[in-house]
Amino acid sequence: MSFDVNYFDGESSRTHKATLSVNSLAFTISYTSVNNIHKIVSWEIPAIKKSGIYTKDFISFTYGDTFPFQRIESADKNFIDYINNNEQKNLNNSLDVLLHKSKNRSIVFLLLTLITVGVATYFYIIPAVATGFATTLTEKNVIDFGDYVFRVLSTDLEINEDATKSLQEFADEMTVDSTFPLKLYVVESDEMNAFALSGGKIIVFSSLLEKIETESQLAALIGHEISHIENRHVLKNIARNFSGAIFVSVLFGDINGATAVLMDNAHMFSQLSYTRDLEKEADIFGLDIMRNSNVDLHGMPELFEILQEETMIDVPTYLSNHPMLKDRIEYTEKIANEQDEFIVNTVLQEKWQQINKTLENNNE
Amino acid sequence: MEVISKKQLLSPSIKYVGKGVEFAIIYFKNIILTILTLGLYYPWAKVEILKYHYQSTALDDSRFSFTGTGKEVFRGFIKVYVILILLYGFLFYALQTQNKALMFPAIAVFYLFLILVIPFAIHGAVRYRSSRSSWKGIHFKYLGDRAEFFWLYIKGILLTLITIGIYGAWFQVDIRKYIFSHLRFGNLSFDFRGDGGGLFWINLKMILLLYPTLGIYSFWYYKNLWKFYSENTIITQDGKTINFKLKIEAGDVFELVVVNFFLILFTLGIATPWVAVRTLKFFFRFLEIDGEFDTDSIQQAEYDDYDDAAGDDALDFFDIDLL
Repeated sequence: MSFDVNYFDGESSRTHKATLSVNSLAFTISYTSVNNIHKIVSWEIPAIKKSGIYTKDFISFTYGDTFPFQRIESADKNFIDYINNNEQKNLNNSLDVLLHKSKNRSIVFLLLTLITVGVATYFYIIPAVATGFATTLTEKNVIDFGDYVFRVLSTDLEINEDATKSLQEFADEMTVDSTFPLKLYVVESDEMNAFALSGGKIIVFSSLLEKIETESQLAALIGHEISHIENRHVLKNIARNFSGAIFVSVLFGDINGATAVLMDNAHMFSQLSYTRDLEKEADIFGLDIMRNSNVDLHGMPELFEILQEETMIDVPTYLSNHPMLKDRIEYTEKIANEQDEFIVNTVLQEKWQQINKTLENNNE
Repeated sequence: MEVISKKQLLSPSIKYVGKGVEFAIIYFKNIILTILTLGLYYPWAKVEILKYHYQSTALDDSRFSFTGTGKEVFRGFIKVYVILILLYGFLFYALQTQNKALMFPAIAVFYLFLILVIPFAIHGAVRYRSSRSSWKGIHFKYLGDRAEFFWLYIKGILLTLITIGIYGAWFQVDIRKYIFSHLRFGNLSFDFRGDGGGLFWINLKMILLLYPTLGIYSFWYYKNLWKFYSENTIITQDGKTINFKLKIEAGDVFELVVVNFFLILFTLGIATPWVAVRTLKFFFRFLEIDGEFDTDSIQQAEYDDYDDAAGDDALDFFDIDLL
């Protein structure tokens, strides 16, 4: 078989119109040089290098490992067909040949695969890797991270030392099998909020503490926050949010602003739903802590009712991360109604009185 | 000989013959593989895309060729990411200590490193790309000196800072001049004849007219900018110069930008590979070679077998594109 090719000897840019004959061992290139001398060049198949890219109407090869490299180029359809159907591995790439056979079908197939892979990565692989990362971090790392965040935050926080002391005593009385050392802080603020940092720190804002009426409501709040700490929710949330955001921005960031914004928002919604799942987990786990500490589980739905009332008037900060308060009241109440009989924890009641006193003194 | 040379001494045409469907297959295949390998396939994807664009660019009916390999780019990729991870690790470590004596030097080192590494990355990238680019078997070659380029860059950065950005135009032109004047293609040499004043004036007009014209002036700005860069580039062959003409009007820029924008918007990005092909076709459609150019008598020069793609990878990190 012979084909039309352009041959370049690597010494100059002169195009030599050449004839290529092929067999299973070698390419033989024959052409007539400028000074009318007939020349024959032989390329052994194993040393031939394909261009590594598929273009339908054009094919090229280079030869040898020592500079200057010889090269052939061809637009000869028969030659391209011959190469595409060749079984020598270094002459073509069977995947490329297959994909380019029926272009539209390949594009549809690739797009469907891309969507499947993208969705699977985003919904299964990335969350698994992120949560895995959050769970395998050593306790020391988790505590260090929380300490770092607290150091940054604490410069803006006005800590109420007396209330902090009594709140700490209250929490210490709760029966918690904690891996992290619990450290509670009461911070002066009009915001109805409380949050947990990784590694054991819980921050409760004074105005929320003032609205709480019973020791079981306070135990519900603390139990909920302890669950976040014990289950490393903050880390899981950050890891997932961060890795998901990176994935979305890498995939869509280069494309265009509109799609990127759309995808960022989709990611935010998915993240919000994850945050809600974590909240629910913390509620259920918090109820366990309350049960072990012998307090009335109804404290949890009551706490949510207080929050619901307050957030109607106040800026709904607590609400933003804790949506569906109505749902939460329902399911926690259901669990509370099933609580077995228990002996009321009087120490917690006393500690609660003490906190109340501190707050009253503070307000005078 | 005379007769043969005369036939060759025409202005050769340069065009991009890539096809959207063909490039789309390559593009989507590479995204899938990059996701499945959590990014590790990226170097091979990048190489395949470069190879496609090179092989789809025809000058005088011969195609350009990119001979870099995924392995080379991968090695560079690893180098760049190891350095970056160490650098970020150092920064985060210093920040979390909250020790001011450590924090501020760490931040300074971090940013200084990022700024100082750019000229090295540009140098490495230009040298690697040139070494791996060829046409008709003749290789490109970059002869720039790393230290010389570094100091040119630092001088430019400092002057740009001192003049609150005004020197920026001259700085950009100086960089381009340096790179082009050290670029060879076989025995052909390149140069850039633009001057900083020209670029400054183009930018100044943009700043002054962008808001009064509600952004419409930007089409003229890009026309001017692209013409400035392409028409000031020259090639010298045996003492004769070859110029480029970019016969483009603001209306053409408008068509390119607006159509690309809607294509991407309405397909949620799926049209990206078609847009890439369209854009390259656009540039080469308007680009003309002006001058007698003997495309058959270019002599191969010594090979610069530079296989370190770290610079090229670092530029990807900074999102800097060559040319």
